[in-house]
Amino acid sequence: MKALEDLILKIGKVDRRWIFLVLAIAVFIPIIKPIGMPIRATETTKVVFNTIENLPENSKVLVSIEYSPSTKPENHPMTISILRHLFRNNHKVFVTCLWPDGQFMAQDALKQVAEEEFGKVYGEDYVFLGFRPGNEAVVKGIVSNIRKLYTVDVYQTKIDEIPLMDGIKNFKDFAFLFSCSAGYPGTVEWVQYAADPTGVPMSSGVTSIQVNEVMPYVQSGQMKGVLAGMPGAAEYEALMGQKGFATSGMDAQSIAHLVIVLFIILGNAAFFIERKRSRKY
Amino acid sequence: MIWKRQIPILIVAFIGALTLFGWFVEEPNIQAFVDDDATQWYDILASFAIILGAMNLMKMQIQKVARQKKGWPYSIVAIFGFLFAITAGFFIKGVDDSVAVWGAHVTTEGTLFKWIFDYMFTPLSATMFSLLAFFVASASYRAFRIRNFEASLLLVAGIIIMVGRVPIGSLISSWVIMYIIVLALGIGVNTWKKDKKITFGVVGVGIIIVTVAGMMTGWPLDKPAIFYLPIIQEWIYYYPNVAGTRAIMIGVGLGIFATSIRYILGIEKSYIGE
Repeated sequence: MKALEDLILKIGKVDRRWIFLVLAIAVFIPIIKPIGMPIRATETTKVVFNTIENLPENSKVLVSIEYSPSTKPENHPMTISILRHLFRNNHKVFVTCLWPDGQFMAQDALKQVAEEEFGKVYGEDYVFLGFRPGNEAVVKGIVSNIRKLYTVDVYQTKIDEIPLMDGIKNFKDFAFLFSCSAGYPGTVEWVQYAADPTGVPMSSGVTSIQVNEVMPYVQSGQMKGVLAGMPGAAEYEALMGQKGFATSGMDAQSIAHLVIVLFIILGNAAFFIERKRSRKY
Repeated sequence: MIWKRQIPILIVAFIGALTLFGWFVEEPNIQAFVDDDATQWYDILASFAIILGAMNLMKMQIQKVARQKKGWPYSIVAIFGFLFAITAGFFIKGVDDSVAVWGAHVTTEGTLFKWIFDYMFTPLSATMFSLLAFFVASASYRAFRIRNFEASLLLVAGIIIMVGRVPIGSLISSWVIMYIIVLALGIGVNTWKKDKKITFGVVGVGIIIVTVAGMMTGWPLDKPAIFYLPIIQEWIYYYPNVAGTRAIMIGVGLGIFATSIRYILGIEKSYIGE
């Protein structure tokens, strides 16, 4: 028993670089050799899926991209899956960005899904409006008069010359909004300044750390579900029946979480043994 | 003095009041101001603020290099990075006008700016964020300790969320959780009564009850649902978490309201340096 306690104490005082190494190995192995753990869709993800599934064909949907490469593993699979779903159901997609980096992320997703997978026509099936500075002021601008805010698209084409922009004046002309967000400005600003005042339904995909912040809006019905972090993205991929990066990432995340929990348990065991011994002496 | 103090306060009070009442007044001109003009003013001011911010950044970094303050070599990298991005953004596109016009070049494949984003910014940004996983692991190992009731509650909730959110959580049977609860109950009874017989009695009875119940129901993975990790984590997200977040949101909202009123009434004057 004493040998075991000594071993736990020794582990408790281990250099943090060993922890880094163990975690790196725990993450790498499932990435190289996926385990294929089952993905169970949560209620919030199902609501997002069903809301998009129930939109009438040819609905005009605004997709807003608010993340950067740092959260790409979490947010990008959501954008890919949502775009797939929208194009599969023949909806018209309008893409805006509240973050400057979001423009690059959106372009990458549109190239993969709209151009390569579905062969959609730019200007007829989708429009890429891009980034405008101003945070919530941009959201308010889209709500009141999108044409005043966006006179040209990302490719510097005049909005008036894009056929899909015919009849689009403000936010109320859209049937649905999906915001893929990693922070400020993002989902919260869309709820407060756009979806809630106008009554246009919206859903969102957020990083795991943001879920706490947006959950009250989901529970109150101001948002139609939420994709919560990489698990949310993986669940959406499962509902779409098309596995992607999020699904393959979930094995690594599962093992990493388990390893962290084991570290916490070992750390606490060492803490208790140490406390017991210090009381004894 | 009047131009430095009274006039700015008057402008803030007037614009603040107008913007606030614009939400409540059915007057098209006021609404147009609040919805369109004021937001465009904000955009213009924000653009100037970016220029000022950039100039300030350069000034600070150049001063750091000139005076060879601690970490000055990093400032050289910052200065070169800044100048490189400015050059790629405003002076050298890297492609002809037939490929991308100025403005569109920012996101067009083959341009210098896109190259910077793809091969410098993206890897650096992703690396910095990825390192968080290692620090989280190390920090939770050292800091997550069962020191008191609140810390224990936080620890248990954290573990449930961490395991319940990922697929591995859905593979853990609710019966395993019930056995763990019985053992935890045993620890609690032992700490309270400090009697081995009572502790063994409680643990033994608990294990028998769970085992008999499991054999009778056929050990379903996700039943009883209240002991199934994905269900428990969903409950934590939906109720205790939302309750706490709402309280914070209401507090923040009241704080913003109070501060706004202070600005409109001219009580808060930090923006003029008072």
